[in-house]
Amino acid sequence: MITSRRNFLKTAAFGSASLVIGFDGLSLLKGADAETNLFEPSNWIRVDADGAVSLTIGKCEMGQGVRTSLAMILAEELEADWTKIRLVQAKPRPGSDLGTGGSDSIASSWRPLRQAGAAAREMLITAAATRWKVDRASCSAARGEILHPPSNRRLEYGSLVSDAAKLQVPENPPLKNATDFKIIGQRTARIDGPDIVCGKARYGIDVKIPGMLYASLERPPFAGAKVKRMHEDKARAVHGVRSIIKLPRGIAIIADNTWAAIKGRTALAVEWDDPPKDAFDSDAHWKRLEAASHETRFITRDEKAPSGTAEVTKTIEAIYQYPFYAHAPVETMNCVADVRGNRCTIWAPTQAPERLQKEVAKLLGIGPTNVDVNITLIGGGFGRRLGVDYAIEAADISRAAQAPVQLLWSRVDDMKQGHFQAASVHYLSAGFDARGMPVSWKHTKAGSFHNISPLDPKEMRDTAWYQDWSWGCYDVPYNFPAIQTAYVPVDLTVKHGPWRSVFAPSSVFARECFIDEVAQARAADPLEFRLQLLKGADVIKAGSTTVDRRRLRRVLETVRDKSAWDHRPVSENRGRGVACNAYFGRTYIAYVVDVMTDHDNNVRVERVVAAVDCGRVVNPVGVEQQMESGIIWGISSAIKGEITFRGGAAQQGTFADFAVARMRDTPAIEVHIVGSDAPLPFGMGEPPVPPIVPAIANAVFAATGMRIRRLPIRP
Amino acid sequence: MEKTELTINGAKHVVQVDDDTPLLWILRDTLGLTGTKFGCGVGVCGACTVVENGQAVRSCQIPCSAAAGRNFTTIEGLSPNGSHPCQRAWLTEEVAQCGYCQAGMIMTACALLQENPNPSDEQIDHVMSDSVCRCGTYPRMRNAIRRAAEEMRAKNR
Repeated sequence: MITSRRNFLKTAAFGSASLVIGFDGLSLLKGADAETNLFEPSNWIRVDADGAVSLTIGKCEMGQGVRTSLAMILAEELEADWTKIRLVQAKPRPGSDLGTGGSDSIASSWRPLRQAGAAAREMLITAAATRWKVDRASCSAARGEILHPPSNRRLEYGSLVSDAAKLQVPENPPLKNATDFKIIGQRTARIDGPDIVCGKARYGIDVKIPGMLYASLERPPFAGAKVKRMHEDKARAVHGVRSIIKLPRGIAIIADNTWAAIKGRTALAVEWDDPPKDAFDSDAHWKRLEAASHETRFITRDEKAPSGTAEVTKTIEAIYQYPFYAHAPVETMNCVADVRGNRCTIWAPTQAPERLQKEVAKLLGIGPTNVDVNITLIGGGFGRRLGVDYAIEAADISRAAQAPVQLLWSRVDDMKQGHFQAASVHYLSAGFDARGMPVSWKHTKAGSFHNISPLDPKEMRDTAWYQDWSWGCYDVPYNFPAIQTAYVPVDLTVKHGPWRSVFAPSSVFARECFIDEVAQARAADPLEFRLQLLKGADVIKAGSTTVDRRRLRRVLETVRDKSAWDHRPVSENRGRGVACNAYFGRTYIAYVVDVMTDHDNNVRVERVVAAVDCGRVVNPVGVEQQMESGIIWGISSAIKGEITFRGGAAQQGTFADFAVARMRDTPAIEVHIVGSDAPLPFGMGEPPVPPIVPAIANAVFAATGMRIRRLPIRP
Repeated sequence: MEKTELTINGAKHVVQVDDDTPLLWILRDTLGLTGTKFGCGVGVCGACTVVENGQAVRSCQIPCSAAAGRNFTTIEGLSPNGSHPCQRAWLTEEVAQCGYCQAGMIMTACALLQENPNPSDEQIDHVMSDSVCRCGTYPRMRNAIRRAAEEMRAKNR
């Protein structure tokens, strides 16, 4: 896993006096690779002669705080001086895996990063002990120095790196005990904070390279649309417009500056032909989804009631509808591409640098190593930037214009050409025995997979595959004697892809609302009812997911106690709701939400009490921020905008018609981080999202008596 | 294309751009002041907010012809080293996540506090709700504005 980069160093212009240790995610790097000089890790740490520590890391920063938390993990094991750590963005290399998604950065980096830091620390200790001619056991490391307490001597890391670099990298360096952590678990300020508040943080849109032109791209509004009319002469007449180029993906307007490109596009005034009668329409799609939800195509979990279980004498059922949403990050899609001969340089705010590299190489007919990808800071990712369409467009335009080009999407482009969160419909039913005890649970999700990258049809026949795509459905944590969950894939032609917490929000919305309906049928308290249903085996397996019910109970009990659940408001227009979720069996979250409704049934979320168990906490500030972020994201999807389609195109194009939460929609938020016995840290970017929406919907039921079975909640 | 003079962060600039070029793109493309961000181009998201005479204005909505002779402050000119009470409060309250909208938010907050040194929560919500933060940094932003207001009042006492 850890190998010296000394061989690499001979060929790299790093200078001789640095200690460099590479690590590549979870993949094992063999020493032999280093000998043959093939070893070029994506991630490495480097300690320079001036004591500066740099961490070159593939994970991209899009607001989740990963640059800070990864640096904390390294600093902890390396015993580095926190103020001397610098972050460097890695580039994709053959075999690298730098993608950022799935709330996996911390969990997957935790061990390799600690090992790399510990290896460097041990090498620095050895170097110092050798120089002092003392037993290395009598030396220790702290705040960027090696100490020898018996003789009261100390040496800064920088003065030791050239000696340390000559040493063998230890294969299994000792890792610190958690009880000795000084940085991990401490409230730590975001590394990029000062740059952000001074306007110095550089995002994709801020990239400017010599000779760069500016492009806007007019895309067909629906697949296969043809140009009926456009005004090329008028567009060319716009001052600053260089050229109008027809490309497979649209018509590019290339100009000397952004404004000229925007004006040129307006002047071009492309009229597209009318959509065919059968063009995609979301209302028609809803009907297909609902019909599909009554089928049972792929059974993702099937637990038969043990013999002796009482018969079902009463059944309740419901259909839950989950709409399309846009990501709508404030930084619209953009990319700088510079195609020169058989080489291409890209600057992109991307979550998927390797996919980007591969796709751009394919477009240009060159090898992936000829595509140099620079990952910038990202002004909001939320899964949208796992798609690489905007980079392919930019490369195509640069090739055609024979110049470096910045492609910037307008807000309307960004809204209408999204990789939307796909709509889904959920059929749920619960059976009760003659005594009114719940004995069966059924949840069928009718939905669609991503179509932003090709799927492997072989995989699509595999039950495990469908389980993966229905988190929150097949891993229902509640104890019913009989459980059946199923997935029905429904064809969806419009672009759809990962959206913050991917497949979980729709399933968790349906599951957590319907469990409230089951509680209501029992006249039971919805929170205590959940706790009852989380008894039985403490740990359950569902597919590849392991759910620890103790952790789920603990977050539920925490929100019950902290919110004074039992003393909830009972006035006519106020209500309190609860929901919980185990995200992939990793991060456990529960919410209690208070809502108020006005005379027109507009919903206002007044207060959210949250409890989270994400395992080992690296940065408590980061955990709190992601909780708040997920809650506000959920408020947007619960009570603000949805995307609808007519004639193959999204009907929304701005923050006015696809509304998102604003400060006035922000409730009072209390986050309680629950002590965890899970030894590993788990992700926080996505897990806060799924359970907030059903908690709001359940609160609306408590306030109004109306079940919310379709989002967003409309008066 | 006439030459247009305008003052940005106290420095006079003469730019030669089309009359209808929005101030936003003068700042970003012509002057290289990229701290001010593009978000929607139609004045509804607030990412491009700058300050003029203590008022928050949307730089995407001010054409060059109208900007001529005027004096604007951008995030880069708010303080020499991030020492403005709003910037410091933003750091203390750990507001930023992706950070993209934050320059516009900080400029909006500065203008609010200049006009009203003691805004109520409702007033803060009212003014700040004209801007979009997709990361949802609103609760911390609200706290930062309260903190900055307090500090500014203490200084002026």
